[in-house]
Amino acid sequence: MASDDFERQALQHLDALYNFAIYLTRNPPEADDLVQETYLRAFRFSHRFQAGTHLRAWLFQILRNTFLTFYRLRERETAIADDGVPDWDVPMFQNAPEYTANAMEAHTDLERAMSRLPEEFRTVLLLAEVEGMPLEEVARVMGCPVGTVKSRIFRAKERLRTLLSDYDKG
Amino acid sequence: MNERLSDSSDEALGRRLASELPRHPAPARLRAAVAEGAAPRPAQPAWLTVALSAAGTALVLFLVFLPLLPRTAPADPAERLMRSVVAEHERALMWGARHAGIIPAALPWLTQESGIGLARVFAGDDRLTFVGAEPVYVEGRRGMALSYRDVDGHLVTYTVLPAPGLPVPERRRVQIGRFRPALLNESGFSAWVWRQGDLACFIVSDMVSQSDLERFKDYFVRVRTATEPVPAY
Repeated sequence: MASDDFERQALQHLDALYNFAIYLTRNPPEADDLVQETYLRAFRFSHRFQAGTHLRAWLFQILRNTFLTFYRLRERETAIADDGVPDWDVPMFQNAPEYTANAMEAHTDLERAMSRLPEEFRTVLLLAEVEGMPLEEVARVMGCPVGTVKSRIFRAKERLRTLLSDYDKG
Repeated sequence: MNERLSDSSDEALGRRLASELPRHPAPARLRAAVAEGAAPRPAQPAWLTVALSAAGTALVLFLVFLPLLPRTAPADPAERLMRSVVAEHERALMWGARHAGIIPAALPWLTQESGIGLARVFAGDDRLTFVGAEPVYVEGRRGMALSYRDVDGHLVTYTVLPAPGLPVPERRRVQIGRFRPALLNESGFSAWVWRQGDLACFIVSDMVSQSDLERFKDYFVRVRTATEPVPAY
């Protein structure tokens, strides 16, 4: 793929990537940085991208890996449940965005519930349900088998339902 | 229970996520920043590439030939002589002293070759081991060089040359006990320089650091007090 073509196509996914970054970080300045870093890496390693494969999945994969590599360094050491998912009520970051000046407020119960989901669950829901990605692409972004993606979606929705139910009762 | 909770199937929740979860479009400044990062840099003019590579080549050639360029001889005669003595020391470092042996046995031969006799000579001790002695020819003068090696492996060369009236740089003199030799530096070597009558004496070593200097002073004292060169003819 020619360089210009690659850049033009990559930029078409900017809004989706930024939206994903917002839900990962809950912090607009950090989302900015994350997206810029993602594009820098994508442009730098564009020669590694195999033309004909899914550019969108590749970009989301870079963004998520960057997030996990850099942003999670600040993550508090969480108690990990047996299923490999961080404990329910533990905030994702050491400087949990809820407590920082730039943190975004969740305006709806749905946003609030999403922000309380562990990253693995939040990511599968954002990719599969919000972005409408096929499960194979989601699996590629998350680096796991499709079966694991299905299972995570199921469990993520369960937790989301529980949270929404709690908000409604409250 | 409200309508939303009652409609809690997986599909319904998925639809709700897709339709109700607020989307956050990228701000314009982010779009501009990313687009700027993607924009190719303006091509470098061809002439600039040629000019830069020519300048680079010239610089490399200059650095390669720099050691071969003739160096400006210092105006000070002691420094000029010292530079040649250091060159002899470097030669001894690379090739070793040519005439190793017990000094008293070699002395007549040395005196004959160098024109300098040794009324007394430092033959080494527990700190400095005698390595060898040889006649040298420096700046048109015949002289002799005695080499020692200390316990750390530093080569210390004592060189004597006839140099009547050689001025020893006053500002470089260092008081060491009752002696006041000058300390000169050249090409990473240090040298004590002093005069005994019409002879110029040099002790050269690579001991240049402040901590080495104290030991170098000690070596000077050992050699200076035990060695008495005299013109033989």
